[in-house]
Amino acid sequence: MPHALEAMSITKSYMTSDGPMTVLRNMSFHAAKDEFVAFVGPSGCGKSTLFNIITGLLGPDAGSIVVDGRETTGMVSAKIGYVLQKDLLFPWRTVVDNIILGLEVKGASKREARAKASRLLHDYKMSGYENKLPGELSGGMRQRVALMRTMITDPQIIMIDESYKALDYPLKIELEGELLDHVKGSGKTVIFITHDIEEAVTLADRVYVMKAHPGEIVEEIRIDLGTESHSIPERRMSPRFNEYYDRIWQRIGAPRTVNA
Amino acid sequence: MTMRHSSRAKIGPPKTLPLTENPLARRYLLVALQIGITVALLAAWEIGARTGLVNRFLFASPSMVWDVLVKRSVSGELFEDIWTTSAETLTGYAVGAIGGSAIGLGLWYSRFLSDLSAPFIAAIGSIPVLAIAPMTIIWFGTGMMAKVMIVAFSCVVVSLTTSYKGAMRTDGDLINLMRSFGASRSAIFFKLVVPASMPWVISGLKLNVGFALVGAIVGEYISSQAGVGHMILLGSSNFSMNIVLAGVAVVMVMMLVFNFLVGLIEKSILSWERK
Repeated sequence: MPHALEAMSITKSYMTSDGPMTVLRNMSFHAAKDEFVAFVGPSGCGKSTLFNIITGLLGPDAGSIVVDGRETTGMVSAKIGYVLQKDLLFPWRTVVDNIILGLEVKGASKREARAKASRLLHDYKMSGYENKLPGELSGGMRQRVALMRTMITDPQIIMIDESYKALDYPLKIELEGELLDHVKGSGKTVIFITHDIEEAVTLADRVYVMKAHPGEIVEEIRIDLGTESHSIPERRMSPRFNEYYDRIWQRIGAPRTVNA
Repeated sequence: MTMRHSSRAKIGPPKTLPLTENPLARRYLLVALQIGITVALLAAWEIGARTGLVNRFLFASPSMVWDVLVKRSVSGELFEDIWTTSAETLTGYAVGAIGGSAIGLGLWYSRFLSDLSAPFIAAIGSIPVLAIAPMTIIWFGTGMMAKVMIVAFSCVVVSLTTSYKGAMRTDGDLINLMRSFGASRSAIFFKLVVPASMPWVISGLKLNVGFALVGAIVGEYISSQAGVGHMILLGSSNFSMNIVLAGVAVVMVMMLVFNFLVGLIEKSILSWERK
C-alpha cells in the first residue's frame, strides 16, 4: 500500500539580491494513513515553503511529491486540505457559507452542503452559529470554522500550519484536544508544520526535526507517549513527554541559547 | 505604603463631565449651534439686504431666493429642471461609475492587459471634463445624450482605478485557499475578488457622486434647454442673482440626496464590514 504522502529529495531555492539561496535541501519524508506527523524547526527552516510545496501551491526545483500513489508535484490536489494560523474566513459569508466554500467551488448542491455543514457545526458544539458572520465570532470559534471548512471536503491529508499560535493557552489546549477527537482514527493523515515543540510532541506520532539555512531534516523521531488518551494535559503528563521534548530541544533550541 | 495612600486620595470621586465631553449632550449642543449659526447668517443677510447694507443686486436676499423657489415650484419649472439634471446625472453615473467599476474589477483577470492599459487610463484620467465638454456637445448634440456622456466620462476613470486597486489587493492567502479547493479563475473572481473589492468599489462610487453632478452642470452650462445648470446660467446672464442662488441651493440639496442614496447602497452591500 502506498504512503498517503511521500516526498522525495525536495529542493527549493529563491533568487535574492545576494544570489540564489537554498531554502530547502534534499528533503525526503513520508506520512502514513491515520498518522500525525509534525515538522519542527527554528525560524528560517523554510516552513512556509515546505507547506506550499506539499500543498502544491508551489513547485520545487527538484524532487517530487506523491499523494496516495499519484505524483502531484506543483499541482493542487483535492486530497490535501489545510488550516493556517490566519483563519482565512470570508468576512461577507456566514459561518455556514464559509464552511461549504470548498464544496460550493466543486459544484455541490448548496442545500445538501448546508445540511452537511449544520451537522458538522453540531459535532463541534457550534449549533446556533450558522448565520453569524465571522466578525461576530471569537478567535477559537473562527479556528473551529476554518477546520470544519477543511474537514467538510473530506481531504485525506490535512496540513496545519501554526494554526493555534495566536490563541491563548487554554484555548489552544482545547482545540488540540478537539483535533484529536475529530481526526484521530478517521483514517486521515495530519501534517503539522510548527516551531512549537510541545505541540509536536503532544500530538504527533512522528516528528521530523529540521534545521535552518538551508532547511533540512536532521532527525526523525517516533513519538510514543504510552497513552491513547485524547486529553492534552494527560498526554503531557506522560513521563516520556519531557524526554522527547529535551531531545528535540537539544537539536534545535540548544545552539540558539549558546549564541544568545 | 503612605505614598500609595496619598496618591490614591488625590484621584478622588469622579467629577461630572463638562458639557463638551458628555457624548450625547455634545451631539445636541453641536446640532443646536450649527442650526443657530445657519439661522443667524440667513437673518443677517436678510436684514442687511432690507436695510441696504448688503447690495441686493449682487447678493439678492434669502426671501428673494425663497420667492424664486416657490414661484418655480408652483409653475412646475423647478421640478422639470431638477428632473432633467437628475436624469442626466443618474444615467451618466450608472454608465460611468458602474461600467468603470466593472472594467476595473475585470482587469484583475489579465495582468498583461492592465499593465498595457495603465498609461492610457492615466492619460484619460488627466483630461479635465471641462476641456472635452464642448467637443462632446458637437458629437452628441445639445440634448440629454451629450450630458450623459460628460457625466460618464467624469466618473469612469475614478471608478476604474479604485476598483482595480481593490481587486489587486485581494489577499493572496485567500486566493491560494480557493486554488486549493480547485477553484477556476472565474470562481475565484466571482466568489472572492468581487466581494472582497466591494469596499473599494463603494468608495469609488461615493467619490463619483460629486463628479457626476459637476459633469451634468458643466454640460448644461455649455449648451442646454433645461436643467438646474441651465437655470443658473440663464439667471446669471440676466443678472438675476436670486435665480442663480436658488439654483445653487437646489444643487446642494440634490447632492445631499444623491449622497444619501449611495450611503444606503453602501449599508446594504457592506453590512458585513461593521460586524
